[in-house]
Amino acid sequence: MVGPPSGVAGIGDDALLIGRLRGGDESAFEELVTTLYPAMFAVARGYVRDRSTADEVVQEAWLGALNGLDRFEGRSTLRTWLLRIVANIARDRAVREARSLPFSAFELESDEPPVDPDRFRGAHEPYPGGWRSFPTDWRTIPESRLLARETFDRVERAIDALPESQQAVMKLRDVIGLDAEEVCHALGITKGNQRVLLHRARVRVRAELEAYLDA
Amino acid sequence: MPESHRPNGHGFTCQEVVAIASEYLEGAMAPEQMTAFEVHLNFCDGCLRFIDQMRETTALAHSLSDDEIPAELKSELLAVFRDLRRE
Repeated sequence: MVGPPSGVAGIGDDALLIGRLRGGDESAFEELVTTLYPAMFAVARGYVRDRSTADEVVQEAWLGALNGLDRFEGRSTLRTWLLRIVANIARDRAVREARSLPFSAFELESDEPPVDPDRFRGAHEPYPGGWRSFPTDWRTIPESRLLARETFDRVERAIDALPESQQAVMKLRDVIGLDAEEVCHALGITKGNQRVLLHRARVRVRAELEAYLDA
Repeated sequence: MPESHRPNGHGFTCQEVVAIASEYLEGAMAPEQMTAFEVHLNFCDGCLRFIDQMRETTALAHSLSDDEIPAELKSELLAVFRDLRRE
């Protein structure tokens, strides 16, 4: 079994880790809390936009997890189990605070076109569905510009501006590096929905980057 | 200008390629669909660039630093952990 990419104990190590937590090993807990924070925070923000509310959700999840550690059966990884707890608490919290969640926040709201349809030729033009003009070749952009601080700032801002569910999926998948299966389990969504949310998110962030890099 | 937007006559248009780009990048495409997709990429610089841009977007996102746990939250959680241990 290959461990998850972000340095957290994988399935094989979970038993060991839980033993250390039960034994009151504070440094093990501190490391776990620090390492898992980005993913827990990202899941929470999939439901609650406000950062401090998301932190409260993370805190509440840890309280629940520590009290329920004996109920962890090891059928998923400890990380997936924790992320599921975060998702449940965040969802309850969002509903309680009467944010509009007519159905699950991770259902797909619309069939938004992934890329501006005006970029393509219309049905009655020659070559319908073809590019009007090609995207630029980013490989010709000097690294000093492509990998400049400003570029990363743009990416970060574009991700922060995404709708909650897209933001959560893109952060978990692309920024933190979880695999698709774990994201589906953590958020309780289907593979298809996960992929559509990720696609929409990447397409929006790409468009922001394009606007900046082509300027 | 793109002249070979549907290079094999019955494959995808550029707009369709863009719409299913993530299925390709995620390895979630059926083999026969993948063949038509890759044939399109072989002939269409526009779509090749688009796929490259999607990959670059993901790579840039992966280079961002993770959110750090606020110090206050961390110390509160450590305090809770210590309290539970005493019980």
